[in-house]
Amino acid sequence: MLTYEPDESLAHRLDPRAKLAVQIGFAATALAHTTPRALIAFSVLTAVAMATARLSLRRTLVSYRLALVVLALAPLLAGVTVGPPWFDRLAAVASGLASYRVLLILLVSAAYVRSTPVRHSRAAIQRTIPGKPGQLLGVGVALVFRFLPVLRGDLRTIREAMAARLGTERSVVDRASTVGMLGVTRAFDRADRLSLALRARCFAWNPTLPALAFSRVDYPVLGLAVVLAVSAFY
Amino acid sequence: MATDQHSVELVDDDVVKPFARAAVLAALMAATVFVGSIPIPFSPISISLGVIVVYLAGLYLGPYWGAFSLLLYLTAGAVGLPVFAERAAGLGVLVGDSAGYLWSYPIAALLIGAVVHWRSETGDPADLSRPALVVTLLTALTVIYLLGAAWLGYVLELSTVKALELGVVPFIPGDLIKIAAVVAIVEAGRITT
Repeated sequence: MLTYEPDESLAHRLDPRAKLAVQIGFAATALAHTTPRALIAFSVLTAVAMATARLSLRRTLVSYRLALVVLALAPLLAGVTVGPPWFDRLAAVASGLASYRVLLILLVSAAYVRSTPVRHSRAAIQRTIPGKPGQLLGVGVALVFRFLPVLRGDLRTIREAMAARLGTERSVVDRASTVGMLGVTRAFDRADRLSLALRARCFAWNPTLPALAFSRVDYPVLGLAVVLAVSAFY
Repeated sequence: MATDQHSVELVDDDVVKPFARAAVLAALMAATVFVGSIPIPFSPISISLGVIVVYLAGLYLGPYWGAFSLLLYLTAGAVGLPVFAERAAGLGVLVGDSAGYLWSYPIAALLIGAVVHWRSETGDPADLSRPALVVTLLTALTVIYLLGAAWLGYVLELSTVKALELGVVPFIPGDLIKIAAVVAIVEAGRITT
């Protein structure tokens, strides 16, 4: 599973804002170009990004397996025609090149995921998005990270309890609505306790954030992000 | 290091409650990818519960907090929580092949929440008649399909028909079952707004 892993790589030492900027710039330019020459350049950049985060290609591809199936199916589907010549090679190649750039975008973002802990991402969100929306988004993301394992446990408990009562023999609609209703009821119970706890602890619009500061290595990375973003227009 | 020097400004009570609900519902949406899906008889596809949470976010949190909840889900996934289909994560997923579906979720919740607020004084989805509820959910599903297939077709350079074949047709039976399940949830009336 693709997730943050503590390490000492160059990507781990970079400021999260610089890394986010590079991803946005890369995605912008990759979406604008699908020529083979551009794709070779993008492949090199992707390899560099993965190397700086010490990302394993095999494990990353496994974690994007669902996307890989779609990306592999798309060129085949694009090439199939109803009637002669039965397979349109040009359409298949165009779609194949387009699919490949999507894979590169996914790999570059995987480098960020492996090298950035959530508290850095949260600080980057709250410092980049101004005012109350930024605060709510930052705190909210931290809460989603915190509550995911809890609600995962809730859902599993619900499913097991249903199975123990022969719930698996009931209709699909019945099962889906039971899990959905119980899941949301439990989630809202937890949320109401959480809001009480937040108020008791003086939940404020201006909490103290972890320190973030650009270091010398961040400036070239930020420059690269700008170059990539601008290259989308050429 | 930038430190905020102003005095503490507390978040209002009428913001804390919906905010906490939106955050926990986003976590529930995230949790659905970890807890296996329900198989459909005689079909290779099984249904995940994710989209059910999208509908419920719109119905029970209203247009703004419902959409905010799903934006939180997308943001958490973008910064590295493995919450997208098959436990994928990363900003790349939000511009990748399935990006159209993901970005349509907050829009669908906004749409559903707006209809609930328009048709009900108290914002309780149980006040909606069954036909109104079904039409609202089907419209939201259409928005999800259209944006999803449009982006799939654009980013993978597929024709409209082929994008629909790859990105819409296989999912129709499962999505209709989910809408039936959501109607049953609303009519049971056990979730309080």
